[in-house]
Amino acid sequence: MRFTCSLAAAFLVFASTSVALAQSDCSKIVPPSPWGPNDQTGATNRITPAVTKAAAAEIQEGQVVPMSYPLTDGIPLFGTRFTKSILTATSLAPGAAFGENQLTYMEDTWLSQSHVGTHLDGLGHIGRKDCYFNQIPMGKFINQNNMTKLGLEHIKTFATRGVLVDMVKVFKAAGKFKGNSACKRECLDKGTVITGADIQAGLKMYNVTLREGDVLILHTGWGNLFEQFPAQNATYNSGEPGIGKDAAHWLVGQKIVAVGADTWAVEVIPGEDPKEAFIVHNILITDAGIHILENVRTDLMAAEADRTRRATFFFGMTVPKAVGLTGNFVGIEGIR
Amino acid sequence: MLTAVTPPAPPRGRRRFAFAPALLALLAASASVGLTASDALERRYTIAFANLTDEPGVTLEGTGFTGREVRDSFVLAARLLPVDLVLYDNRRDPRTALANAADAIRRKVDLYIQYHHDATTNAEVGVRLHAANIPVLAITFPVPDAPLYTADNRAAGRIAGEALGEFGARAWRNQPLLAIIVGNVGARDDRVPERVQGAVDGLKRQHPAIRVVTVDSQGNPARVGELIGRLVASQPGKKLLIAALDDASALAAKSALEAAGRLSDGAIVSHGADRSIHGGVSERKEIDPSNRGSIVIGSVAFYLDRYGYDVLPLAVRMLRGEPIPPRTVTRHKLITAADVFVEYPPYDMN
Repeated sequence: MRFTCSLAAAFLVFASTSVALAQSDCSKIVPPSPWGPNDQTGATNRITPAVTKAAAAEIQEGQVVPMSYPLTDGIPLFGTRFTKSILTATSLAPGAAFGENQLTYMEDTWLSQSHVGTHLDGLGHIGRKDCYFNQIPMGKFINQNNMTKLGLEHIKTFATRGVLVDMVKVFKAAGKFKGNSACKRECLDKGTVITGADIQAGLKMYNVTLREGDVLILHTGWGNLFEQFPAQNATYNSGEPGIGKDAAHWLVGQKIVAVGADTWAVEVIPGEDPKEAFIVHNILITDAGIHILENVRTDLMAAEADRTRRATFFFGMTVPKAVGLTGNFVGIEGIR
Repeated sequence: MLTAVTPPAPPRGRRRFAFAPALLALLAASASVGLTASDALERRYTIAFANLTDEPGVTLEGTGFTGREVRDSFVLAARLLPVDLVLYDNRRDPRTALANAADAIRRKVDLYIQYHHDATTNAEVGVRLHAANIPVLAITFPVPDAPLYTADNRAAGRIAGEALGEFGARAWRNQPLLAIIVGNVGARDDRVPERVQGAVDGLKRQHPAIRVVTVDSQGNPARVGELIGRLVASQPGKKLLIAALDDASALAAKSALEAAGRLSDGAIVSHGADRSIHGGVSERKEIDPSNRGSIVIGSVAFYLDRYGYDVLPLAVRMLRGEPIPPRTVTRHKLITAADVFVEYPPYDMN
């Protein structure tokens, strides 16, 4: 009887695996990681001690520039996404304090999806079919709760140089600026395609060249709609300016570790080809292990860059070692 | 209104592995609009697009698509081409259409795209632009001597009819069948009668003797429920193959079958594939991967929201002196729950 049960169980496991996890030949769909077949770290491999040390030279005044938006009720979220906290404060009730010192305490229950607010897209966020970064057939590496490969625990600490490119300035200088009246400060309109040439023009404005291991931050102004939450949530979510395929390919060649923007997807929406879905995510994350940072607050750093004529900073970002997660909300500081 | 767009620079610095497919894709894309290596040096063209109407909520060509969606498709498609657009609204008005053409002549645009329903006006617009040496490309309604881009209503109808016929043959073999065609069946300006004929042809491929009943909503989808309800009540025991001529009529027909308790007796194929019948990940509309059991099998796509992606490359080819066919038709396709997210990738999940 026990044997029969085991056999049945084994069959069930086999059957469910074969049905749910149809496997593709990922070697034909996704390129291998340059860091070897076991790599789950991706582009953050480039954050070496030398890169961090060089980035530290950007700290010249000790000024910390916040680059995250508040995470609270009412910010723009998509579809069924939610973030909600519940405060436990029972010990504040009369007579509920502890001990002679009358200790009270509070804590939170945070019910939230991970890709909300200012957040990082991990390497397990985006794939082609069931193939993810480094040709990993992800269907074999998921369970009901998380991934067993490519989780956030594998990426290295973000302590590197950040470079800001002010795309509003670039498009105005090129005479091709088209704004959106819902923005209270200048912003590029949704659907505006940012090319590799546009990024290079922006770098040139501040006399910067990208280095291996950099994080590139694009200021499009679209984040002003996020700042107006909830009034402009629908407009914010309706599309965005962002990088197109050309820029994505160029950035892969620059060997950066992440690209962020004050938009919800970093890439241009509507996309260049209406039959492609988030193709820039595929190019950066799936093919190159380069992270995407969404809803980054860029206006303060853009103002600093404009004021000081310096667009580089030390990029510090807290990413929890959340095992098996595809991404998470983050805190980002630019230190100068 | 002038809209500036910038052509993308060629890709650079991509890893070798990914470069080859990217290059192939680029070549394929280039081939589709006849781009060459000298494109970076190519001059920009000023192209005028005179839309049938920009009026919000007004639908076109017997589908659920609005003029605004058509116009937006031109703006989006222009981003990828060496094109500066001048946008006009013909407002379905002959005088406005003539004034728009006159303005384009004054601006000395390189090419004029005319989308207007009135044949007399189109003829006059053609004469005036020809005199100004400005080539014309017409959408849906011909302009004499100008190439035409148009939906192929007969082909679309045939796709719908064949899909229904095949479903009937597969699911209801040897059961009594009735074919129903419902919608604005008499809308000649929108060429809906061609859609009807195509649907009949398609149905008869599998079922040569099938009885076909047309239900005319006279352009008011709100009437579909009542009309279909009455019809199905008179047809107990029949399996119903319903070709809806637009998506609103399809949804109304489904509701009517539901109200009559006859959902299991019906199958519906629609025309248009507009946003009322499919949507994003969280919209959960009728044609959705999570709703594969729906009696709405699918909708034949008319892609008015992508006209710009089809028409502007034709215009650029004309301006480069390349030959284009006198008539180019939309590549219609039946969109079902199985491929709706491939054909219309949602972007409400990021």
